[in-house]
Amino acid sequence: MAELNIRNAIKRYGPVEVIHGIDLDIADGEFCVFVGPSGCGKSTLLRMIAGLEQTSEGQISIAGRDVTHAEPAKRGVAMVFQTYALYPHMTVRQNMSFGLKIGGTEKTEIARKVDEAARILKLGDYMDRKPKALSGGQRQRVAIGRAIVRQPEVFLFDEPLSNLDAELRVEMRVEIARLHNQLGATMIYVTHDQVEAMTMADKIVVLRDGRIEQVGSPVGLYEDPDNLFVAGFIGSPRMNFFAGKVTDMHDAGVTVTLPRLGDVAVPVATDAPLEIGHAVTVGVRPEHFDPSGEITAQLAIDVVENLGGVSYAYSTSQDNAPPVIIEWRGKNRPRQGGTVAVNFDAGCALLFDTASGLRLR
Amino acid sequence: MTKHNIRTSIGNIFVLLLVFVMLVPVIYMILMSFRTGEEIAADPLGMPSGLFLGNYINTLESMNYFRSVANSVGITLSVTVIVAFVGSLAAYPLARSTNAWGRAFIMLVALGLATPAFVTITPIYVIFRQVGLLDNYVGIILAFTALNLPLAVFFYVGFIGAIPRDLEEAAKLDNCTDFQVFWHVIRPLLGPATATLSLFVMLMVWNDFTYPLLLLTDPDKFTVMISVYRFVGNHNIEPDLLFPAAVLGSLPLLIIFVIFQRRIVSGVTAGAVK
Repeated sequence: MAELNIRNAIKRYGPVEVIHGIDLDIADGEFCVFVGPSGCGKSTLLRMIAGLEQTSEGQISIAGRDVTHAEPAKRGVAMVFQTYALYPHMTVRQNMSFGLKIGGTEKTEIARKVDEAARILKLGDYMDRKPKALSGGQRQRVAIGRAIVRQPEVFLFDEPLSNLDAELRVEMRVEIARLHNQLGATMIYVTHDQVEAMTMADKIVVLRDGRIEQVGSPVGLYEDPDNLFVAGFIGSPRMNFFAGKVTDMHDAGVTVTLPRLGDVAVPVATDAPLEIGHAVTVGVRPEHFDPSGEITAQLAIDVVENLGGVSYAYSTSQDNAPPVIIEWRGKNRPRQGGTVAVNFDAGCALLFDTASGLRLR
Repeated sequence: MTKHNIRTSIGNIFVLLLVFVMLVPVIYMILMSFRTGEEIAADPLGMPSGLFLGNYINTLESMNYFRSVANSVGITLSVTVIVAFVGSLAAYPLARSTNAWGRAFIMLVALGLATPAFVTITPIYVIFRQVGLLDNYVGIILAFTALNLPLAVFFYVGFIGAIPRDLEEAAKLDNCTDFQVFWHVIRPLLGPATATLSLFVMLMVWNDFTYPLLLLTDPDKFTVMISVYRFVGNHNIEPDLLFPAAVLGSLPLLIIFVIFQRRIVSGVTAGAVK
């Protein structure tokens, strides 16, 4: 097992730069998740680490060893693909032992490692089957088993659960988390599903347009995002953003007036040097609407999603802005078509600079 | 009878008619092979009066059958194996090439498909005469290989293009060299395609007349088709020998087709459905 360090990694396809100088450190045994919208470069970065894409500039080190231009097999990594990438003409056992066989490992050693991986992943009954005779979950386990037998320093997962149905996805998520605890290996996991990122990661790397937006623990990113993008991307349903202007300044911060909430004045703590009239955005998460909050506003509710234990009320404005989403628990939930008074605590509101999108702390 | 049934019945009759038209020459050849020369001369379209096997015995003695079949089998199998191996090996990088040169090369190969075989025979004859490959098994195998490689490359490029790249990348992570990726991962997946291609190549090589006629002169090296043609004279034919010879000449290929039929069909239809 080993730590991974990336210094100023750049990837270009001809004149087009898609990864713009990534710097990242992943500690030994850490479960790191790359998350971001489609086309943000998360899979490309993972493939650069695997050696399946050439790194145009910069350096990638695994366990202190520079592997920037090393062959994929010489990097000490194993990868689990989104499509499983099992060899269709080989049995499960042959799939899992292929890499070791090519590497010249002794037969008895191969058998021992494959049997051990099969035991961990409960694949014993399927060892002589071909991939086409397996279910999606079983195939994914074989793909993980193929990675385990190689005893890599770093495991790489490229959206491994996106081809599975919802139930199986939850099951495999738990299984991969258990595997991480069991093996204690360094794992890098790419997903666009932020629930996977939040539940599995020790560290989340949020990417956008080939750049890292923020690195941190799941709770850290959720509670203390650096910018509007991270605040909006992490959390489901997404954070509500209200455009406003600074209308007053005081020792602890500023007061912001929010037209979308009926020009309600919200005092927000900040040390940022702001002026009256500065355009800012206030972020409030759906669950932070709470009847005990000191700020009150009236919202017209046009859609209510009742999920049983929780309801989400949507309030759409006429200016095509995303709807305001309010989480509602307990009794007296709002009804579709009505107007409700919503409250929130100003201490939960996050302040962002509208022009740059950066957080104002 | 419903409208649907009537339409199906008309369709079936049309197909049967088409099959009959295609089989008439084969049926005629088989029927004639059991008639004596006099019977055929008296009534060319008549039915055989019995199963007269004397024609076959005479033909086997006079056409050096087993030797020519051995020659044809040896040449056909050699060409098929080389074409399948070299063709798939050449197609692999071409199928994965994303640059303009790769695409241009594929178009160049496609030009080879469009070139008639008789256009290449003269240069091949001249070159082979210079390097001493006339009347030589290696020469005829090389000539047929060159003739069939464009088809093989073009054919395999399509099939390999449909194989997910993830498999190759997984193999690279499994420590494979480029050739090992081809040998252990790509090649086994080309089974149905290879069976189909092999059929096309076998048919072409087995039935070809021009190349062996021009490149082979020693009767011991003649292929079946040349041996069959010996019964066609300049001014007359010997039907009691020609028809059995034609049946015997087609028989080995028919047996091969029956054996490989299932794989060939799966190769032709591969990729049609997921």
